[in-house]
Amino acid sequence: MALELKNTSLKELAKLYDYISMCTHCGNCKYGYEWGKTGNFAAMLCVQGDKYNFDSYRGSRGKAAIAKGLLSNKLQWSDAVSHVLFTCTGCGACQQMCETDIKPYILRMFEALRSEAWKQNVAIPEGIKKWSSTIGVNRNPYLEKHENRLDWLPSSIRSSLPKKAEYIYFAGCTASYRQKSVALATVKLLQKLKVDFTVSEDEWCCASPLLRTGQYDLAKEFVEHNKELPEKYGASGFITTCAGCYRTLSRDYKMDPPEGYIDKFGKMENVKVVHTIQLIEEMLNKGEIEFTGSFNSTVTYHDPCHLGRHAEVYEAPRNVLKAIPGVNLVEMYRNRKFSFCCGAGGGVRGGFADYSLETSAKRVREAESTGASVLTSTCPFCWRNLTDAIEMTKSPLKMVDIVEILEPIVKRK
Amino acid sequence: MARGNKEILAKLEQIVGPEYVSNEEANLIPYSWDLTWAEPRMPDYVVMPKTVTEIQRILRLANHQKIPVIPYVNATNIGGLCVPEEGGIIMDLKRMDQIIKIDPETCYAVIEPGVSHAQLSAALKATNPQWEGVEFSKGFEFGWGVHPASASVLAMAINHGIGHLNGRLGINSQLLSSMEVVLPTAEVVKIGSCAYSDSWHSFLPLPRMDGLFTGWMGTTGIVTKLGLWIFPIRPYRDVLTIAAASAKDITKYMVHWRHYSLCDEVTAVSWWLAQIPITFPYKDKPKDAPEFFSYTVISGWTEEELEYKRKMWKKVVQEEKARGTQLIDFEYPEEAKRGRTELPSRIVGSTKNYSKSCGGGLAWPGTFAPCKSWPILYEKWKEIYIRHGLSPATRFTDYQGAHYGMLRCMTPFDKRNPESVKAARDAMVECVRAGIPLGMLPYKPPVEYMNELNAAADAGYVYLMTKIKDMLDPNNIMNPGKLGVR
Repeated sequence: MALELKNTSLKELAKLYDYISMCTHCGNCKYGYEWGKTGNFAAMLCVQGDKYNFDSYRGSRGKAAIAKGLLSNKLQWSDAVSHVLFTCTGCGACQQMCETDIKPYILRMFEALRSEAWKQNVAIPEGIKKWSSTIGVNRNPYLEKHENRLDWLPSSIRSSLPKKAEYIYFAGCTASYRQKSVALATVKLLQKLKVDFTVSEDEWCCASPLLRTGQYDLAKEFVEHNKELPEKYGASGFITTCAGCYRTLSRDYKMDPPEGYIDKFGKMENVKVVHTIQLIEEMLNKGEIEFTGSFNSTVTYHDPCHLGRHAEVYEAPRNVLKAIPGVNLVEMYRNRKFSFCCGAGGGVRGGFADYSLETSAKRVREAESTGASVLTSTCPFCWRNLTDAIEMTKSPLKMVDIVEILEPIVKRK
Repeated sequence: MARGNKEILAKLEQIVGPEYVSNEEANLIPYSWDLTWAEPRMPDYVVMPKTVTEIQRILRLANHQKIPVIPYVNATNIGGLCVPEEGGIIMDLKRMDQIIKIDPETCYAVIEPGVSHAQLSAALKATNPQWEGVEFSKGFEFGWGVHPASASVLAMAINHGIGHLNGRLGINSQLLSSMEVVLPTAEVVKIGSCAYSDSWHSFLPLPRMDGLFTGWMGTTGIVTKLGLWIFPIRPYRDVLTIAAASAKDITKYMVHWRHYSLCDEVTAVSWWLAQIPITFPYKDKPKDAPEFFSYTVISGWTEEELEYKRKMWKKVVQEEKARGTQLIDFEYPEEAKRGRTELPSRIVGSTKNYSKSCGGGLAWPGTFAPCKSWPILYEKWKEIYIRHGLSPATRFTDYQGAHYGMLRCMTPFDKRNPESVKAARDAMVECVRAGIPLGMLPYKPPVEYMNELNAAADAGYVYLMTKIKDMLDPNNIMNPGKLGVR
């Protein structure tokens, strides 16, 4: 049986045909596993497969089968195809498990499939269509006005920020419009730690929601706009508190495919991108931070997919948490590269709210099982979805971003 | 796009709930092919039961409507076994994923079909062999084979899958102890000790009716619970390696070494299978490279026991060298050794080694063959493979002493190219044809191999197989087309 490339009109997908064909259909991607000397790890990691069960949804094998089917004309576009494509959170668990040569291209394949879906007469989730129709004007996917983007920033702080600085704090859409406490805690923390930073007056969405949902044409002007910001502010880097922004700025703006999109948007040269947690860890290691208080709680950490599996930042948040006086860090069974997604990413929270919340409730239950009283993370988008699940399930857990833990109890040495 | 008909879809929805049945092509296409060259066949429905009762109801419906039913978990059998030859219902059993029992005293486990190697290996490792609360050692194991960790333990075992304890204990279907089966006509039967009590420890001394459901490729019923023997993990392990100039030499060594029944496994791989990935398309082996490489895994309860086995192995090697067998001292890289002991392995099981960068196809001719045939068939197969532009990436493995063993040829091919697919299929069918007269029996055979087997079989054997199939499955709904007789 041959799966020949017959449908070259699917240009984004056809470009990946050789890589897609490397999926052997082995099924490693369908389930999380790792051998261990004293115990083996085994758990379901695919959020989408956990919900919808059919092989089409579980891991990358099903989506590769759909891609092969479309490219070989063995499958036609339909609303059912679209549903499979858009219910994936792009968490990268399947990519983590894969050991064949399609591995580096799996997430790019998902996004290429979605980009093709937009060109077909198939049902795109209404929630995604809604924000997509206004993001070109609003510069954010929350249907909020662009001119209100800096409302989270008190005028007293805003006026104190320099015009030029080493770093631009890139707050991102979620912290700017929704989890404002995270953005505020971040700037206060950075000021306390005497980091040379400023906040852009004209930050646009980093384009993560557009790229993750395959809207390449729309994404272009966002990437081009944000790439200009460092020069405008004399900055050499971006600081983010959002895992999604971090992934997009550090990889999509800067790296070759399949990790990044410089093939489409050019490369952001000579700009450093750090997540707040990396900056804090570095300063702790240099002995530049002094704790003025403690945080006496048992805490469990949720790895955001965009910081963890997508960017392999696993230890920095844990090292920071362990350094905080009073913190008792306990791990969920699914952690680090084997983390379980909060259910928000890949456009799923906007497109399928109930399923997204159902997923985050699963994660909250897992966090509860550790005995922790505090659930923490390093992503305002995860923060939002996990908080909603905590409220829905009436969980005793308290959701706090690590910057919110740190801000009241640190000072620069 | 939807397939099948609405009335049947509605009935299936009534049985399992609408979220667990689909007739959408988007959901059907991953079930239409597998790794092999089996021609894709679209099912009409996929249904995911959770209970035995649901399976019974689906089978009643299928009998009434004469719709094929194909039991399925992960479809990593490398034989096209789950490709629906005549369409019908894929019965995806992944939701039946409970480890029902692990008995650490009588040393057996009871599992459902959806239990993966990942799940079972983790649970067994966390269970300690014991008697009345006194623990003897750490962890249990089963025969972990060369397959993805997501593969079904039950499906692998009832299809005579192999594992890392084959040399010591035999293949995994020899390690089964009891089973529950839903017959094609929807009756539930228990076989073995579980038919009499809740103890799932043994098929013996009863008539071996489990044979009606092992090796039948899902054509005679759906095994819904399986008892299997589990074995304490021995804390000391080592991997000993050697190479040889020819298939004949390596066979001599393997036969001699396995004579003492001291190893968990002894395997040899040809130069082409030792390459990562397998060379594709074929290229010549360097003249000075050994033709075969072999590893054997030994285990023990103490270092002294392990050392004794090492000494015996060295003695075998020395004696073989002294009598002119061309053995070449060779150490496997550490990573390769770990791949033989850290099982189930994501790396080994991923097909990474087999089909990297060649276009996603993987199949094999083989597997069960008497060791006398290994070197003869290897030379024949090598000629066939090279003629078709394929690498003779061959493996020999001993199963439990002198009686039988594995001879197979891992064959990557390029699914992008119809010529490559055809070459692979033609070469493999030719190998099977050459192998059968020399005692080779393909396991998990694709339809093309089954046709070869039936053509060569004793007429009485085919008659009995057909009669059993007709008795159990009068409407021929269970995975039709796979046996080549119905």
